[in-house]
Amino acid sequence: MFISDCRREFYDVIVSQRVLLLVASDVDALCACKILQALFQCDHVQYTLVPVSGWQELETAFLEHKDQVKLLVKQDDDLDVPTYDDIFRDEEDEEEDSENESDGLEPSEKRRRFEEDVIERTMKRRQRREWEARRREILFDYEQYEYHGTSSAMVMFDLAWIMSKDLNDMLWWAIVGLTDQWVQDKITQMKYVTDIGILQRHVSRHNHRNEDEENSLSIDCMRIAFEYDLRLALYQHWSLYESLCNTSYTSASLKLWSVQGQKRLQEFLADMGLPLRQVKQKFNSMDMSLKENLREMIEESANKFGMKDLRIQTFSIHFGFKNKFSASDIVYATVSLMENIEKEGPETTNFIKALDSLSRGNLDKLHQGLDLAKKQLRAIQQTVASCICTNLVISQGPFLYCSLMEGTPDVKLFSKPVSLCLLSKYLLKSFVCSTKNKRCKLLPLVMAAPMDVERGTVIMVGIPPETESSDKKNFFGRAFEKAADSTNSRTLHNHFDMSIIELKTEDRSKFLDALISLLS
Amino acid sequence: MEPAEAEFLAEKELVTIVPNFSLDRIHLIGGDLGPFNPGLPVEVPVWLAINLKQRQKCRLIPPEWMDVEKLEEIRDQERKEDTFTPMPSPYYMELTKLLLNYASDNIPKADEIRTLVKETWDTRIAKLRLSADSFVRQQEAHAKLDNLTLMEINTTGTFLTQALDHMYKLRTNLQPSESAHSQDF
Repeated sequence: MFISDCRREFYDVIVSQRVLLLVASDVDALCACKILQALFQCDHVQYTLVPVSGWQELETAFLEHKDQVKLLVKQDDDLDVPTYDDIFRDEEDEEEDSENESDGLEPSEKRRRFEEDVIERTMKRRQRREWEARRREILFDYEQYEYHGTSSAMVMFDLAWIMSKDLNDMLWWAIVGLTDQWVQDKITQMKYVTDIGILQRHVSRHNHRNEDEENSLSIDCMRIAFEYDLRLALYQHWSLYESLCNTSYTSASLKLWSVQGQKRLQEFLADMGLPLRQVKQKFNSMDMSLKENLREMIEESANKFGMKDLRIQTFSIHFGFKNKFSASDIVYATVSLMENIEKEGPETTNFIKALDSLSRGNLDKLHQGLDLAKKQLRAIQQTVASCICTNLVISQGPFLYCSLMEGTPDVKLFSKPVSLCLLSKYLLKSFVCSTKNKRCKLLPLVMAAPMDVERGTVIMVGIPPETESSDKKNFFGRAFEKAADSTNSRTLHNHFDMSIIELKTEDRSKFLDALISLLS
Repeated sequence: MEPAEAEFLAEKELVTIVPNFSLDRIHLIGGDLGPFNPGLPVEVPVWLAINLKQRQKCRLIPPEWMDVEKLEEIRDQERKEDTFTPMPSPYYMELTKLLLNYASDNIPKADEIRTLVKETWDTRIAKLRLSADSFVRQQEAHAKLDNLTLMEINTTGTFLTQALDHMYKLRTNLQPSESAHSQDF
């Protein structure tokens, strides 16, 4: 459904009805869901929340609840939609049959009229053909590549702002939604910086009272602050050393899988004058004197070692005396809660837990998420290191391919789509830094991992190549579909993100061959 | 009486809010409320104020006694006197807790107010304990305490009366009597 005015055509319509909310399993969707829930609570709207992880679940949920009123779909990617007029044409401009009207006129006039009509009709037909050709082109472009538009959490926040019901809480969720897009590498750097600018205006509007000494807020109130912070994952809840080892950017630039790399890390730390003992401690217990100028020091040294983008614009939240979190911390924690492989109860508990952890009152869930995130990041780094050291990434021609064997440690963690995507991105980054082959650096990556050993399925992910100016457009969705069709492989294109599929292990080789021939 | 019950009674107190919606007079069992006009202050009971605040439909204005200087005076006065001084509101503790929990962004210097109220409360409870202690020691028959609020009475009320009951029973059993009483209560 195309909507141009969010408030009138969307919110005002559903506010008086009972709503079915279908939410995808993605942090951005979760944040948008939280904002919408808060709006619903303000306006006493009844709603049912159903988490969905793919098209099939979407269908079943819809059919189950068909008798209930209005349907709202929350997807994780708002694709850049072409304008309404380009796709759909109102049927008003149909050719009119003017033959009948000219009955009462003279024959010569009739003939002239007839000729004019013919000309008019051919003109219209030509226009219509052109329009249809253009439409086919647009739809082909639209469906060929997959890419992400504005974060849906930000769209929801805009809606709340238009209705003047925006709160600091909702702003924080919008920030987390945007940061999730950045962490999972779904948007370009330009878009990220532009969106950060938009959010920063909102942040200063809500949080300007923090600087006012006379009238400052209670310490328990939530404050958001803009920060030009380090790009190290979870560094404030971990030790600096662990964080440096387990962040893809630093680990890839310093090549930490090799012995050389480890030495470079030591040199890097020595260059900054940070003693090893301090750096391996929990960040909060580091000496204050070292922490004071940490960011500037690290940035300077990082420049010397070839890491120019170690600092990134982001936001952090601060409430109470103890609780300070950066937006990326929350993203990692929520992802690991949502994709927790330990089964605790029915299917949706992980989703509900992840949704709850986004509220400020559920700090224990958030801390649990942070611990799981640390495990996940460590597992990713170790897997990446072993893949690179054992040369598991092979070039198949038009793309790179890597397959995780069943016995690999922590391979169960990577049976979930988002974790596997993160792993593939980190692997590609590290591979690009490790290889000397210039051509290989520009290739995309297809990654496979065992999904369900009993049913013999494999989960496969395709990601675009890692280049400086990449526009993050992913063509693997279409490519996977075509390859599956041509080989009759038993695949499941269930995921909302079309570049993630499930595949039977036996069909894997023929599928890959088809893919290679398709893309070369 | 439970503390929750005392809080429930406290929620009937009136507080000023500035709504951002408009509504005509509403007629409730307890009385009439409103009319509500955006930007114009109106007095409502605390339960309604908290509900509206949570739904982002109003802004709370702190009661006039919830001010750092006034509370400092009250606290110092309380510390000077031996007996209880009158409090600005019979529900000062409950109101502080409710307003600071739900509307701390509308109350300037919320942290200091919380500390000051807590200090006053501590002083009064200490006096209450002292007075109960001397009451028991000197085996008085009755005592009169002015200016206590419901919440403070609740902290010691049940315990004190039951303890006094037990002590009475123990004491009467000490004295020998013609018919031997059993030890059951």
